[in-house]
Amino acid sequence: MIEIKDLHKSYKMGSNSLHVLKGINFKAEEGELVAIMGSSGSGKSTLLNILGMLDEADTGEYILDGVPIKNLSETKAAKYRNKFLGFVFQSFNLINYKSALENVALPLYYQKVGRKEREAKAMKYLEQVGLKEWADHLPNELSGGQKQRVAIARAMAAEPKVLLADEPTGALDSTTSYEVMDLIQQINDLGNTILVVTHEEDIAHMCKRIIHLRDGVIVEDKKIEQVRASQYVQ
Amino acid sequence: MFNRDTWQEIWHSIKNNKLRTFLTGFSVAWGIFILVLLLASVNGMQNGFYKQFNDDATNSIFIYPNATSKPYGGFEAGRRIQFKNDDLEFIKGSFEESYEYISPRFNRSVTAKYKQETGTYTIIGVSPDHQMIERSVIESGRYLNKRDLKDRNKVLVIGQQVQKELFKDDDPIGKSLIANGLVFQVIGVFSDDGNEREESNIYAPYTTMQGIFGNTDQINSISMTYNPAFDFTRALAFSNTMEEVLKRRLVIDPEDQSAFFINNYAEGFSNIQTFSNFLTFVAIGVGVLILIAGIVGIGNILIFIIKERTKEIGIRKALGARPIEIVKLILMESIVITTLSGFGGMLFSMGIVALISPIVDAPAFSNPNVDNTVVIICTVVLILAGVMAGLIPSIRAANVKPIDALRAD
Repeated sequence: MIEIKDLHKSYKMGSNSLHVLKGINFKAEEGELVAIMGSSGSGKSTLLNILGMLDEADTGEYILDGVPIKNLSETKAAKYRNKFLGFVFQSFNLINYKSALENVALPLYYQKVGRKEREAKAMKYLEQVGLKEWADHLPNELSGGQKQRVAIARAMAAEPKVLLADEPTGALDSTTSYEVMDLIQQINDLGNTILVVTHEEDIAHMCKRIIHLRDGVIVEDKKIEQVRASQYVQ
Repeated sequence: MFNRDTWQEIWHSIKNNKLRTFLTGFSVAWGIFILVLLLASVNGMQNGFYKQFNDDATNSIFIYPNATSKPYGGFEAGRRIQFKNDDLEFIKGSFEESYEYISPRFNRSVTAKYKQETGTYTIIGVSPDHQMIERSVIESGRYLNKRDLKDRNKVLVIGQQVQKELFKDDDPIGKSLIANGLVFQVIGVFSDDGNEREESNIYAPYTTMQGIFGNTDQINSISMTYNPAFDFTRALAFSNTMEEVLKRRLVIDPEDQSAFFINNYAEGFSNIQTFSNFLTFVAIGVGVLILIAGIVGIGNILIFIIKERTKEIGIRKALGARPIEIVKLILMESIVITTLSGFGGMLFSMGIVALISPIVDAPAFSNPNVDNTVVIICTVVLILAGVMAGLIPSIRAANVKPIDALRAD
């Protein structure tokens, strides 16, 4: 599903150049639930952004579902993002003047799905994250956990091949974090490929595989026994 | 392009960003408002100038006698010049092609009496042509005619003011008016658009006046209009030739500037026209500057809007919005706001002008008005150019890497 070879990325910081990713090789199959771990500055978010086509690598190969991702125009990148990828951010990134339902329906709008179908689909995913009753509420009327669940519903609405989550529990307390992870596990159970960036050990152990990044290289890549989040959720 | 979703996006965005919407709308409406007021002011000033000349025909020439300032042909300096009927006939004969209307003026101040009312007025002896030169408007009855002139009829055409003061509510036509003990018959009442003082005058046939007041053939001054087909140069040439010929006839030094005066309206009118053209030029210049300021204002606000929405743009791009859809989102909203407020401002200011126009009627400022086509064109230009000004930043914003846009706060 995802394949990257010798990926490099550096940022210009004034006159200095900061080498963030120093040759990443990585492969993820369909249906995997991968945690990308590392301390801050290790390059884990940069890696996720490149995988999500929000950012571009300097050198290296990236093949997503058999499609090489290289030198894309913004229009083409938008099409791929829309078709292949769903995003969940630490800060939720909901559009604050749109209701939960409208936020969830937005990727479908960019897929040119008709209005009726769009709303029905968005409602279906809101129901799946348990927020059907909150469909007409604005983001600032929702709790952090609810916001993240709306964001997950939004990411799922487009039925992407890969779900990318950048510190999805970073802004949440542990109880809410487990609720969100429970949801992510359920989505993974349905066969979706999910990559989660986190620096929390317990969150990482709720995935099926952990990749450790340090100073821009992968230092560890292991399959683990998944801890089910549902046992912590009442 | 304009489906229900687009409208909903625009409506959402407007509803949730009232200040931003207001600022954009206000700057557009304000620009149009100022522009309309400017155009109306210039128009009002021009109307005012032309109206000042409306008192008399714009091709008038007036000839006033005075006294010589130089000795000439055996006469001493300081000789008073007096025009006579012969001089009038001489001008008529010599310049048949060059004048349109001509009339002598023979003024006498009289005490006029009707029933119990009396008043002091000037009776001016004129010929029927005088009506056209002075632009007197007959309100009732009739003006003097050739027969009155020939028969030396004791008839009067009185100004509206005279009618008000002496006749009150009576219909003056056919009534007798006693002036300096002599009985005249009122045959008409006139008004004068440009000059209300003129309406306190009384006109009579000059032949009648000359007969009554001293049985003379003297006249006080000559009024005429030049051939309206003449342009400015020919009109001046005509009055210059007339001056030369009259000086020769009356034995005056050709260099003598004070023996009599010829006042040719062509001169002043040409100045006014130049000034009016200049005003139009200034109006266009300032108007263009206002338009530019408006465009810059709209562009500024759009840049601000785009900055404010950078994060939202990043989110939308992460969800798969193409750059063209981002540009559309921003521009559609601003087009809707600028169009509504632009035409709103236009209607508002034109309403104000339409309201004020009939009321304002000062000597130098009268009936300000605007050309609808000009205003509509200006509004459309402002809207289009404003949107163009927003196009560049919105295209740039739409092509920013999503990660950079998402990091913005």
